[in-house]
Amino acid sequence: MRETKMDRNKILLNIQRSRIKPVNLPEPFCSAEKEGDKTILFKEMLMQTGGDCIEVNSTEELNSLLDNNFRGATDLRRNELFKNFLSYSNKDSLERLKTVILEGQFGVAENGSIWIDDSNFPNRLISFICEELVVCLDSKQIVSNMHEAYLRIDNAISGFGVFISGPSKTSDIEQHLVYGAHGAKKLVVIISHQSILE
Amino acid sequence: MTNHAHRAARFLKNEERAAWHDKTLWMVRKKRDLMALDVPDWEELREQASQIKRHSLSKLDDYLVQFEEHAINNGAQVHWASTAGKLNEIVYQIIKENNASRIVKSKSMLTEECGLNPFLEKRGIEIIDTDLGERIIQLKREPPSHIVMPAIHIKKEEISELFHRELNSEEGNTDPTYLAATARLHLRQKFIEAEVAITGVNFAVAENGAVVVCTNEGNADMGVHAAPIQIHCMGIEKVIPRLSDLAVFTRLLARSATGQPITTYTSHYLNPKPGGQMHIIIVDNGRSELIGKEDYRDSLKCIRCGACMNTCPVYRRSGGHSYHYVIPGPIGSILAPHSNSKEYEDLPFASSLCGSCSDVCPVKIDIHGQLYRWRQDLSQQGARSPIKKGIMKVSGKILASDKMYDWSGKVARWCIKYLPRVLIYNRLNTWGRERELPEVPRESFKEWYNKNFREGDKNGQK
Repeated sequence: MRETKMDRNKILLNIQRSRIKPVNLPEPFCSAEKEGDKTILFKEMLMQTGGDCIEVNSTEELNSLLDNNFRGATDLRRNELFKNFLSYSNKDSLERLKTVILEGQFGVAENGSIWIDDSNFPNRLISFICEELVVCLDSKQIVSNMHEAYLRIDNAISGFGVFISGPSKTSDIEQHLVYGAHGAKKLVVIISHQSILE
Repeated sequence: MTNHAHRAARFLKNEERAAWHDKTLWMVRKKRDLMALDVPDWEELREQASQIKRHSLSKLDDYLVQFEEHAINNGAQVHWASTAGKLNEIVYQIIKENNASRIVKSKSMLTEECGLNPFLEKRGIEIIDTDLGERIIQLKREPPSHIVMPAIHIKKEEISELFHRELNSEEGNTDPTYLAATARLHLRQKFIEAEVAITGVNFAVAENGAVVVCTNEGNADMGVHAAPIQIHCMGIEKVIPRLSDLAVFTRLLARSATGQPITTYTSHYLNPKPGGQMHIIIVDNGRSELIGKEDYRDSLKCIRCGACMNTCPVYRRSGGHSYHYVIPGPIGSILAPHSNSKEYEDLPFASSLCGSCSDVCPVKIDIHGQLYRWRQDLSQQGARSPIKKGIMKVSGKILASDKMYDWSGKVARWCIKYLPRVLIYNRLNTWGRERELPEVPRESFKEWYNKNFREGDKNGQK
């Protein structure tokens, strides 16, 4: 659009004209870590944000948990299911998704959030449109705070990435907290204390 | 035209509601305090945020170009709009080119500022606000009264009535959970039908072209990922240099805004979905000019958390609508006069200058300092009422002269003591309308001091 090119030059010129004295960019900052066990802190914060937490100690435990509590869930950690969804864009069918299981890349202790990106889901809408989201997380993959989190991401975001902290929520009606505003109504994080998900 | 004071008086007529408003926002402020205390180095974090923003503003042209380059490389289309009208035109063009007619939008104070909704509606395009609070006020045909909690001025009984009328919900059911579920169902349909999703932007990262949007409801993501076309509207001041800078801002934003450790969703959009389109519109609308004003430049650091509103004794007791500008509260009062210094000349005076806004501001904007400077600038432009001007002139004379000062004190003390009430509490005494004047002392401090300490001087006391 030629029109917006003109606007581009106008805006940039205007900024340059009022150019102010240079101000230094501070060095990347990392504040002190909070004391205490990161997994415990993560769990605490997750619960505070309305998420549920289950801990398992072995592959068998995880499998039987998924079998007993999340039977019929769409487990996107399984390759064949993941591939099936890749070319899948029928929103009406996605809307019928009940429980979806994903693998989380890492958790952040200070706020109970989990980082996932395009490599963890075959369709960006899935983790928002499903009723219940289950995220599996390796307990070794928990960083202290957001500074460490962004260091960890290190500019390697595929195309879309998101920190999710608890289920979707709103307080827009008289500040009354309600879960399940638009996105998942429930978020369950399964923390594995053994690196079993390679 | 009615000014802030008149509108505030109207708001305060409903005493019960005004008290609720005050109490509720103070509760949010307290939640913010708990969060701030819980973060080690909170003050250092604020300082960092302030410096990063000041640096970004000092090199804004470079960072915008850098951001544009990366965004284009990622696969986004970047547009520039020097004015509000241009933004509206660009959005309209994208919609038309794609033969779209169903639009969803998540919260964006920028599109509110530019009047995008009425512009599109005039052209027959349905645009649905998807944030619950925004949907409520859209159905009610009202502007937002707070930038984070747009429907904070509305009670659940009114929402119940509104939803019953507009969305067919159960009559008289005022349960917030039920009402939110009603909205969820209604908006689900809108998300699935939408062809275009519009969002605001919290941060834009120069070094990788990412657009970052923070929501609790997930409405930005529902819209963006469901619709084939996504449009992100951002002011030029939203750009920050590095991905690592996001750590500083995401730690501050939700804690300051609502007292949460982070918003439920912090989404980073870099490229369009397969087969989709991603548009980014960079909007100036007066901002580049504001950069040139040294005294007021820092207002562009604002990350729109709303903490200054929640803490403000005037905002809490007068409601967002009394500010009659798109952004209410202290930050709105320093931004508004830039867009129209005549229309908004009352706003910098709608403050007690207590400074609490500056104390809670996560990016350390000297908000009350700017309010004070605006008062001086606006007064010079003739913003004061003739009465106030007269009072100031007389006060100046009196305060400049010893004798006049002593004499006028005596006269005032005598008047308050002996004149009949109707003469003192008249229309001219606006201060006395809601308050009682203090009890008059027998003598002035000067008289009292002279009587009690004069001799003391001789004894070497001071």
